[in-house]
Amino acid sequence: MSARVAVLVFPGTNSEDETVRALRAVGLDAALVHWSEPDALARFDAYVLPGGFAYEDRIRAGAVAAHDALMQPVIAAAQAGTFVLGICNGAQMLAEAGLVPGTGPVGRPTAAFAPNASGRFQAVHVHVRLAVPPERLPILAGLARGAVIPAWAAHGDGRLVAPPEELARIERDGHLAFVYADAAGEPVPAPNGAALDAAALCNPAGTVLAIMPHPERDAWTFQHLGADRADTHGDQARTLAPSGGIAFFAAFARALGVAVPA
Amino acid sequence: MSAVRTFTVHLTIPDNEAFTALETLARLGVPVDRVIRADVWQFELDGDAGDLAATIGSFETIFNPNKHRLQERSQERPEAGEVWIAVRDETPATRVAGRPIPGVRAIRRRTSWRLLDASGDDVPPDVRTRAVETFLCNPAFQVAIS
Repeated sequence: MSARVAVLVFPGTNSEDETVRALRAVGLDAALVHWSEPDALARFDAYVLPGGFAYEDRIRAGAVAAHDALMQPVIAAAQAGTFVLGICNGAQMLAEAGLVPGTGPVGRPTAAFAPNASGRFQAVHVHVRLAVPPERLPILAGLARGAVIPAWAAHGDGRLVAPPEELARIERDGHLAFVYADAAGEPVPAPNGAALDAAALCNPAGTVLAIMPHPERDAWTFQHLGADRADTHGDQARTLAPSGGIAFFAAFARALGVAVPA
Repeated sequence: MSAVRTFTVHLTIPDNEAFTALETLARLGVPVDRVIRADVWQFELDGDAGDLAATIGSFETIFNPNKHRLQERSQERPEAGEVWIAVRDETPATRVAGRPIPGVRAIRRRTSWRLLDASGDDVPPDVRTRAVETFLCNPAFQVAIS
């Protein structure tokens, strides 16, 4: 039986369906769990916090959801080593909950995904490059060293901020999981002004990952921005073929024991 | 006249954000019975700003007469019992919604929180501190001013 993955839905979440679709495409048994069903979380093997605007991002992005009843079992499970993946708004929740970078007590954030340097919501196609050795991230298995994943950044609050000593710790201790890059993996400045050009952070064990761009929005070729998409015009089979972002979910599935080809 | 003028903007309709804060604080076990939130706008002047209150009143981004109450403060600091949350190392804005304000060279925005008990009095300082440290302020990029 495949690993069961809960995709959490808060009021204002808006990326749950494409996240479930990407997880199922790589063989995972993914299901939605709504904010009123915290008791349902016990039967899952891993958790994904998808993107959107939970509770309208009141107070701060992800702050209210981080303290929601639905998050309490997730936080407890994360502390016990269960894989937890947060994408965009989910990443903001994990930072607000103190699970990433996870260098302080739970519930006391040491970093944040703050408003973009531009002061605006930005939607832009990006690539992110694995910035730690693959073995540093047990939550993603089978990724090549320096793997590059295409994704869509779509957020108003994606700029990593932290005090200088915490940024130094993030870099030194391998919490900087992914950085913004070009398609060849060469470094590029973060579109949102993030410190360290960070696109994703992980916890000390590499079992909790918070990524700002959306790989599930570049999971099929019709979602991709590039020449390979243009070449598929009118070819339904190729348009609906997996795109680069699915590699991210394949790695997550392998980490959960699903035999996904590399 | 001070070189900095401070205004608060309160909602006159139900404040969902304050209500959400109240609910979350309750979940965190912080004993608060009522939350009052306001936007704080501080304008640093470099010339003749004219009737600044009237100018601000024309910026719907700041003030909408159908749902807001605008009030000028005599102090640049929070009142007793109030806490302001600001962005650490903030770069002040020079425009609002893309428009400069005549006579204004820098604009800072904070969020004012006032936490009350069942009697309508300010909660004790230790309760306010708990609220700030557990929820209202992310110290990674914000500071609490009281």
